Formats: sequence, C-alpha cells, structure tokens
Amino acid sequence: MIEEDKLLIGKTVEKINKTITEDIRIMEICGTHTHQIARFGIKKILSPKIRLVSGPGCPVCVTEAGYIDALIKLLNYENVVVASFGDLLRVSGSCGNLEEQITLGKKVVTVYSPEDVLNLAQRRKGENIVFAAVGFETTAPLYAALIKMARKQKINNLFLLTSLKRMEPVIRFILEKGSVNFDAMLCPGHVAAITGTAPFLPITTVYNMPAVICGFEAMDIIASISILCRQLTGEVPVQLMNTYKRCVCDAGNTLALHLINEVFQISDANWRGIGIIIDSAFTINSDFEEYDALKKFNIEIQSSPNVFLNQCDCGKVLIGEKTPDMCVNFGRKCSPEHPIGPCMVSSEGACAAYYRYGGNKV
Amino acid sequence: MNQRIMLRHGDGGLLTNNLIRDIFYKYFDNEILTGYQDSAIFQMKAGRLAFTTDSFVVKPIFFPGGDIGKLAVCGTVNDLTSAGAVPLYLSAGFVIEEGFEIEKLDLIASSMSSICKKAGVKIVAGDTKVVEKGSADGIYINTSGIGKVHKFFNPRKITSGDEIILTGTVGEHGTAILLKRYELGLKGDFTSDCNPLSEIVSVLGDGIKHVKLMRDPTRGGVANALCEISDSYNIGAIIEEEKLQIRPAVKSVHELLGTDPLYFACEGRMILVVEKGFGTKILNCINMLDDCQNSQIIGKFDDLYSKVCVRTWLGGERILAILENQMISRIC
Repeated sequence: MIEEDKLLIGKTVEKINKTITEDIRIMEICGTHTHQIARFGIKKILSPKIRLVSGPGCPVCVTEAGYIDALIKLLNYENVVVASFGDLLRVSGSCGNLEEQITLGKKVVTVYSPEDVLNLAQRRKGENIVFAAVGFETTAPLYAALIKMARKQKINNLFLLTSLKRMEPVIRFILEKGSVNFDAMLCPGHVAAITGTAPFLPITTVYNMPAVICGFEAMDIIASISILCRQLTGEVPVQLMNTYKRCVCDAGNTLALHLINEVFQISDANWRGIGIIIDSAFTINSDFEEYDALKKFNIEIQSSPNVFLNQCDCGKVLIGEKTPDMCVNFGRKCSPEHPIGPCMVSSEGACAAYYRYGGNKV
Repeated sequence: MNQRIMLRHGDGGLLTNNLIRDIFYKYFDNEILTGYQDSAIFQMKAGRLAFTTDSFVVKPIFFPGGDIGKLAVCGTVNDLTSAGAVPLYLSAGFVIEEGFEIEKLDLIASSMSSICKKAGVKIVAGDTKVVEKGSADGIYINTSGIGKVHKFFNPRKITSGDEIILTGTVGEHGTAILLKRYELGLKGDFTSDCNPLSEIVSVLGDGIKHVKLMRDPTRGGVANALCEISDSYNIGAIIEEEKLQIRPAVKSVHELLGTDPLYFACEGRMILVVEKGFGTKILNCINMLDDCQNSQIIGKFDDLYSKVCVRTWLGGERILAILENQMISRIC
C-alpha cells in the first residue's frame, strides 16, 4: 500500500510542480496540518514556488494570557486542583505558567483525555477539580459529553474553565482583513468532521478563494494541494472540495453538534495575538452553569496585556502575515525550551513545528 | 522474615544481616560477594577496563517486560557494552523506603539475578540503606560496573559515509513506562524492550575494529542519541524513515498522544556507527543474536547535511532535532 501511495504521490507532486509557474501561498488553518506537513517533509518535495503558511488553528497558540492567569488564580483557592492537557502547561499568562505553579507546590494534574478528568473528580472527592477545557469544535463535543456524564453520575466537584473557539468566525476575520497575503486555504478535516462542510463554503462562494477540506495523511495533503493548484491555475472552477470524505460528510456529526448545542452557547472570544472576534467562542450555557468554573468561583477572565506581543510575532504568524523564521526571536531567544510566544509551546504551533522539523531549511 | 522494610533493616544489625542473607546473597550468590570483605577482590587480565555507574529511580518499579532491578542491571551492562567492553562485575546499592514490601524486594532481586546470568555478569559488591517513609519513593537502585574492553575496539572520528545500525524496534521501553505510569488504559502489546546486549561485543569478535562508536539510546531515545553523536563529531546524517521499525501498537499510541516514539527510551537497543562499507558485514553478525534480530542499517552520516535529517517515506526530509523538553500530551 505504501509503495502504491508513494508512486501516486510522486506522480501528483510532479504534476503540481509542473503546473505551478508563479509563486503561490497556501494557508493550512489547522495546527495538526502544520505538524504533519513538517513531519512528512512535504515542503521539501514541493516546488519552492509553493509556500505553505500556518493559520490560527492551534488551540494552545490562540489561548489568551488572561485565561492562564485565571487558572493560576484558581490554584490559590483552597482545595482546587487544575487538570490540563500537557501542552497548555508551558503557555505563559501575564505572570508565569502552570508548569511553574507545579514547582511551587500547587495542584496541577496533567490529563490525557476528558475521561481522566472524570476519574480524577471521582478519586478526589474532597477537592474541586477545574478542567482547563481548551480547543475547537473538535474537542467541544467531548467536553459537553463530560459535563453531561458528570451530571448523570451526580459528580459535583468538577468544573470547566472553557476557552473553546469556533473556526468559522476566525476564517471570516482573516479573509476580511485588508491584507490577505495567501491564495488558497487547506481546511481542517477534524473540525469539518464535526461541523460539516457548511462553515467552509463562504471561503469559495463569498471570497472566491480556493479551499479544500483535508485529512491528515500525506496522501490527503498532497491531493488537496493538487486540487488547490488546479483551482488557482483555472484548470477547474473555484469551489469547496472535500478530500476527507471518509470522515467528513456535508451535514457533519449530528450527535456531536447536538451535544455542543445542548451544553454551550455562542459568545465572543479574545484570540491571543489577534484580539476579540465576535461569536467565536463556545461557553457553558445557563442550563449547565453549575459546571462553569467562572460562576462557581465568581471570577472573570481579564483581558491581560498580551505580554508576548511586544516580544515576538506570534500574532502575525497566526494569521499568515509572517512565517516563524521572520520573527527576530525565532531560534534565538525563543525556542521550545524557552518559548516566548505560544506558537513555540505546542508541538502543533507553527513556530515549534518550524523549529523542530527545520521549516524550509532542511 | 518481616513483611515490610523497617528502618532497622538499614541500621547494620541483625535485620540488615538477615536481609542481605535472605534476599541479596540468595540471588547474587558468588564467591567474591560472599567473601564477607568490605571490598570485592578479583583478578583482572591485562588490558583496558571500562567502568560506569548509573542510578535508577523508575516509576512504576514494575512494568510490562521488566522491573527496576532488571533495568538497573541492563542499564549498566549496556553502558559497558557501548564502550566495547565485555561486562564482568557489578555493584548494587539499594535505597529503600521504610514500609516497602519485602516480597517486592525479593522479586526485584530475583529478576536482577536472572538477568545477570543472561548477561554473564556477577554482582560482587552492594550496599543497602533504609530511609524514613516519605523520604524516597519505594526503592532506588544504583549499579556500577566494570568490563574488559575488546582489544580491537577503538572509538574514532566519524566521517561521511559511515553507516548507522540500530539493533531493533524503537521506543518500546519509554512507551511501556508511559502507559503504566499514567494508567492510560490502552490495550495492546506494550512491553519494554529492556534486555542486556553484552553479547554484541563477543559476536562481533575482531570485526569490532570496524565499529567506530556504540551508543545505547536510553533517555531521549534514538533521536537524541543520533543528535548528540552528530553534534559531537560536527557532521550531519540522513536516516531512512522506512528503515526505522516501530511496532504498530507503539506507533498508534504515539499518534493518539501526539508524541514521537523516536524520542522515547529504548533499554535493549544499540546504535552502532560502522566504518563506511562494513555496515552489511556487521549487520549480518549482529542479526544472529536473539535480541538483535530486527537490526537494520537505518542511514549514514553525511557531510552534505549539517544536522540529523530523516528522509520520510514519501521522499521529503525533515530535521530530527534534539528534544529540548519533555514530550507532552496534545489537546487536539
């Protein structure tokens, strides 16, 4: 199978490279695409005329500093344990990160799935577990299911501090900016598997920009880039294509969407490095407010000064205005060991993937 | 015998003597150890010796495919092997937390005994300390070892074209520990590769003169070991992704967690850097060993590259960078 894939990919790449005679830029919105493109070494086999730029689709990178501050603040409450995925631990708030709080003896537990959090709440009944629920439409249904499960099991010591983002508003935000400097979009297959294709349609119908919903295997990515190139050269009309049909249907995952709609409401969100985007968040609705850490502990997520903004270009990297190596700190002051900006923290962050896999400079 | 370790087991009195007799002498029995002297005395033939030490604080202490004792012996045996030495004698120091179950200590010592026999080494000196409950996490073991370096083993400068052999699959020890430590509840064959590799030196015989360097890829895994060699000799390398063998279960769990098995520890694998043109010859010898049957030439050092690069299965290339931080779980 791999030999067949290899042959097919080879032929497709050859055709792409012949087709593209002028410089083009393709934005991969999703952090997992950024990671996979780097891991497969795809930039190396494509013509240098094709530039792949990262977008705002890494949930860790776009989590605002004030959210981290709120988690740190909660750790000062008596009997509060913060549960978090690993890659959020090193993201800086306005004064430090969760990893430093562990060294100070604060109760921070790394989890690997929402189910872990449920188990944690059951095991540590005398403590209040606050789960750092960060993500996009991909993880939102899991968090909704977690809340429903907690209610069903009468677990009353589990709370979510959410920073859940919606993909459609940020795409619209980027495309309506005055200086869009990319020509086509590789759309996130995981998100589309939940939402269906509708949120991505305006990219082609309103903004006339080639777009493909893409999976995460090498073949998915190459096939999608091939389609984008054909649309860009006018060989085929500009229209939203779906190369990830094995997971994405037009209607999306109706069960997951139902869960999201049942537990969350749509609100505005502050995107790190980008700012406030209208209707771009999921927050816990009033029916489930007993699981909302903001209400339980009566705190707010303050708009902390974006401490990193003066020091690095993550904000510009997130909307495709710059590649990571254009930041003066990249690889110097800012590395995965000492990240200044959030794009260097998560392995899906554009800067971390660029740093780790060598960007265009293998 | 008491069921749990008490502070008195470490005070040098009757209980200490009982513990040494009932556990350690039972399993590590040999004339040098049981000579009741403060130091082991043994005869060595003339030649170069290798001497190494390592401390083991693994958690959990029992894991699929091994335990802290097996790991402590394998770790030191493999460090000696990577120095081109035939391991001969080990010491074993135990720091045990008060309350530790003696039955577990018995299991650990038994496992050390079995693996010593397999590796052809003897534990000839030891020490036991018991610390108050809460001062340690169960049990820590330090092992030191002495081996005789093969007369033809001469580590030397790595140059372009030198071939890289890896003696088996990747990342299995680190993955087994990860899954057990965090109780991730994933089903599958996740067994540590923990094993002694001391036979490599003897099976290579005089052919070891074509081996320029050996390294056991423990912490940081195959990726960090290759990067460190590349940095030390200031030469890049190209590794063929298709030659790196990763068991499907291991591959799946890392895809799920968003981690890379190349950075996860092996405890029964060796990287050999072999003089240009001698890779296949060395590979054929090593493949004869039970624990090295999956050996492969995975790539070569190449001065066209300034870093360690991986040629992916579809022909792309990526840098294999040294890991700056612990691998972490991803949100997506």
